[in-house]
Amino acid sequence: MANITKKVSWSSRGDDSGLTGEGTPLLNGSEIPKPSRQDPIRGRPKEIPHNEKLLSLKYESLDYDNIENQLFLEEERRMSPMGFRCLEISRWVICGLIGILTGLIACFIDIMVEKLAGYKYQVIKENIEKFTEVGGLSISLILWAVLNCAFVLVGGIMVAFFEPIAAGSGIPQIKCYLNGVKIPRVVRLKTLVVKVIGVICSVAGGLAVGKEGPMIHSGGVVAAGVSQGRSTSLKRDFKMFEYFRRDTEKRDFVSAGAAAGVSAAFGAPVGGVLFSLEEGASFWNQMLTWRIFFASMISTFTLNFFLSIYHGKPGDLSNPGLINFGRFESDSVAYYYYEIPLFMCMGALGGLLGALFNSLNYWLTIFRIRYVHRPCLQVMEALLVAAVTAAVSFTMIYFSNDCQPLGPERNEEYSLQLFCADGEYNSMATAFFNTPERSVRSLFHYQPGSYNPMTLGLFTLTYFFLACWTYGLAVSAGVFIPSLLIGAAWGRLCGILLASFTPTSPIWADPGKYALIGAAAQLGGIVRMTLSLTVIMVEATGNVTYGLPIMLVLMIAKIVGDYFQEGLYDIHIKLQSVPFLHWEAPATSHWLTAREVMSSPVTCFNRIEKVGTIVDVLSNTSTNHNGFPVVVQVLDSDEPAKLCGLILRSQLIVLLKHKVFVELARSRLSQRKLQLKDFRDAYPRFPPIQSIHVSQDERECMMDLTEFMNPTPYTVPQDTSLPRVFKLFRALGLRHLVVADDVNRVIGLVTRKDLARYHLGKHGLEELQLAQT
Amino acid sequence: MLPYNLYLFFVFVAIDVPSLKCGDVVHLSASESADKLEAVPSLSTAAVSSPVPAVDTGFSFSLLSSFPEDLEVSDYCSDLLHIFGQRYVAYVNCLVPAARPVKVCQSCYSTYGSVVEIYKNISSDQMGPGNVTCRDSLLRSDRLMLVYQLYSNLESLWEDSNCAQCVTGDLESLTNDTLYFMSTLNQTLTCFEKYQQGNHTELCKNCKSAYGTLNVLYSQMEKNSTLCIDIEDAMNMTRRLWSKNFNCSFPREENVPVIAVSSFMLFLPIIFYLSSFLHSEQKKRKLIHPRRAKSNTSLMNIQDKLS
Repeated sequence: MANITKKVSWSSRGDDSGLTGEGTPLLNGSEIPKPSRQDPIRGRPKEIPHNEKLLSLKYESLDYDNIENQLFLEEERRMSPMGFRCLEISRWVICGLIGILTGLIACFIDIMVEKLAGYKYQVIKENIEKFTEVGGLSISLILWAVLNCAFVLVGGIMVAFFEPIAAGSGIPQIKCYLNGVKIPRVVRLKTLVVKVIGVICSVAGGLAVGKEGPMIHSGGVVAAGVSQGRSTSLKRDFKMFEYFRRDTEKRDFVSAGAAAGVSAAFGAPVGGVLFSLEEGASFWNQMLTWRIFFASMISTFTLNFFLSIYHGKPGDLSNPGLINFGRFESDSVAYYYYEIPLFMCMGALGGLLGALFNSLNYWLTIFRIRYVHRPCLQVMEALLVAAVTAAVSFTMIYFSNDCQPLGPERNEEYSLQLFCADGEYNSMATAFFNTPERSVRSLFHYQPGSYNPMTLGLFTLTYFFLACWTYGLAVSAGVFIPSLLIGAAWGRLCGILLASFTPTSPIWADPGKYALIGAAAQLGGIVRMTLSLTVIMVEATGNVTYGLPIMLVLMIAKIVGDYFQEGLYDIHIKLQSVPFLHWEAPATSHWLTAREVMSSPVTCFNRIEKVGTIVDVLSNTSTNHNGFPVVVQVLDSDEPAKLCGLILRSQLIVLLKHKVFVELARSRLSQRKLQLKDFRDAYPRFPPIQSIHVSQDERECMMDLTEFMNPTPYTVPQDTSLPRVFKLFRALGLRHLVVADDVNRVIGLVTRKDLARYHLGKHGLEELQLAQT
Repeated sequence: MLPYNLYLFFVFVAIDVPSLKCGDVVHLSASESADKLEAVPSLSTAAVSSPVPAVDTGFSFSLLSSFPEDLEVSDYCSDLLHIFGQRYVAYVNCLVPAARPVKVCQSCYSTYGSVVEIYKNISSDQMGPGNVTCRDSLLRSDRLMLVYQLYSNLESLWEDSNCAQCVTGDLESLTNDTLYFMSTLNQTLTCFEKYQQGNHTELCKNCKSAYGTLNVLYSQMEKNSTLCIDIEDAMNMTRRLWSKNFNCSFPREENVPVIAVSSFMLFLPIIFYLSSFLHSEQKKRKLIHPRRAKSNTSLMNIQDKLS
């Protein structure tokens, strides 16, 4: 039975004071908060520690819905058929550019990481070799820790002080953006720069992180930048692509950018398209899919091409993706029907471990938000993690007795001998003393017997906790590779153990196969992606025959994991208090109607409104409403005003800036008529209302909103059920939905935050609270 | 003459099919095989003009008499085959005793050279005495292609063993690098022998310089990629002697400082988190109460609706 817990108990007195003076205005009221005698807590803001059951006010919706006002219709009339064709072509050009630039960024990150990490490991290796002979290995340990810290310090300072939104993998943020939430500063150029430098530093700094997640964010930023044809940060306007300066177009391009990012990171163009599909599928069409696929393909082959030049084999296009899982030999990848149940068991294990990972990370993140919120503390925490990672790794290597003979194929890696016999290397060091990507590859491909079960067990255990501790630090870093690495380690362990149980059948003897399945299970258990992850794994390994087991494993990992805990990205979205709309309204919510969901009363404007009123409403700091229904009052009658349109805050600001007042228009006939271009020029950073000066005389002027408002806003009757409203929002990408009664009077307004606050908790339907963050 | 030629034609088609299938076996492309077909009449005339093959040349082929004469292997070719066999046996005889410890390059490079030489003769398309070439008749007249297979086995052995790195290009002698390495190795082994009796710590101390020089030399050669299996194996054995038998590896004796430093580092985060828990002010969120339509959202109402 659904029951509301945590419900803000609302005043149930049937007072007749009208719609004014009720509580703290937030979503669409114009009232100044006024302590009320009956309900004292409502007057002053209540403070609670941060938790997951909050919605933050700083997030707003994107304006995905097209505003079909008169200006728009005029522009459309003026445009020739040729103009529309040009637009279509420039969409393709932009997608190509997105692909190329994303590929180049991926290439840059890859080369820089390789160089810096190579230099670091070379220095440490020489140092260790020297001190193994003469004694003083603790100095090598300190050297390792200091080098790690130096890199992480740079990355941490960049992120914590310059652009905190660049922290983490960026996938939650891009997911929110594609869902229709405007995350402040998420697609800025500055974010991109910080992200790229940050990820190079954190991978080179030896943290348990990967560089793949940030690629997706980078692709998104590139797309948002390129499609606008200008950079607000650099104050450069190339006068290109002006038509695309609105949220609708920008978001489509960002989904292409995210796909290009995935495709560059994993060498998986189809996986990239499916990732965009999975994360932002509510607004989708075939042409967009095809364009996104184009961007992905271009991106992966740009990366390919430039890496081939870098590796000295120009023209060899067989090097796709930042992470290269390497080729699985065809005889070692064979699997048989009797192995499928085993794979499924591993999937369940992956789900369990993933849920454990997510739960630990959840508690850690809450602690971080509550107590480690100052930038200097965040940098210090990152440094500590870097130092501890070095210390733990070194101790593991130092006390490992697992020595393996050097093979001819290991020359490129930084193999450590330490106390092994001459001609042998320390097997623990191939896992710890390496960039995570290479460790994954060696776990997949080294021949049976390269690792002791003991080594793998210890490695899994330490790396699990290290990765869990690292994710959520104020450094930009992804969680894909650490998950794969943990999974590959225990998967390989499973393979070795299975082979030791059944010594006769040789097909079991290939632990690389089990490492792959384990990696898929662990990754699926942590991030809970389904379709796109399957395709990404299949494409990254270049092996279609593994489609079935990988799909089954991811399915089971998701089912098992979801039983205990949500996916990592969803947890982080929740903890950031983002009003995220899931696929569907929570079950058991059909009894809720628009009347209960909406905010009311609504601040409305008249069609011809006094400038002073508009300025007052907009500059009221306690309310930051973005949409205002426009009403028309029938002259000389007491009838209440009827809805005739909807206008946005951003539009009003542009109108105020250009002083589009009725009186001025009369006096200055020559004044240029406002065009849609003026609105686009102000996009996306509309000036705050405080920066617009309106004199006392002008306050008395009137403003005619008819031309600029959206004359046909979506409305619903007040008895519409929540799932219906939800569907409208999700499918049309709405920002405001007016609730009207039978005579078309505005009685409320539904926004994203009104819908996102309902979610299905442990005790039935729960309601999230709004908070200032 | 015509049916006879036709018969030959079929023979050639029959032998071309497997050779094409093997791809790189004889590098026979389609155009080449067409050339071969054109060459059929001339070859057949050559076969016809050659003297009657001697049945008693040392090889006894019981089925031989049943074939027409001009399909037969010429004298010259069977001589070559014979020599190939002898040299092959010599090489294998040399290889087997050199298997452990591996000395396949040092001891057998000259016999390998002789095998290569005779195979070159067989496979060359230059006409021998009597205008005969043995390439086709010996190497690819049948599906098995025994001579070719035998030779390619040896060749892949030679390649796997990397012997070409240690032997001069003309297979005449060992390279100077190899000789130098061998002499250094001998010095080290002599040193080992000298101190073998008694305490191994003595050996570790005294032979360290010799062993070190050898190690440095080896890694240098590894970089220049002038290693062959002989050297690798010798080095492996020496290293095993040094590390396992004499136990001269570095001992793990710094446990205390390493543990101390790393536990200090592990200790730091605990302090960090504790202090930030105790001293940092907890971040509070200001709750904001949204305005809803009055009385509709009251709990009472909802429960009414539910019931």
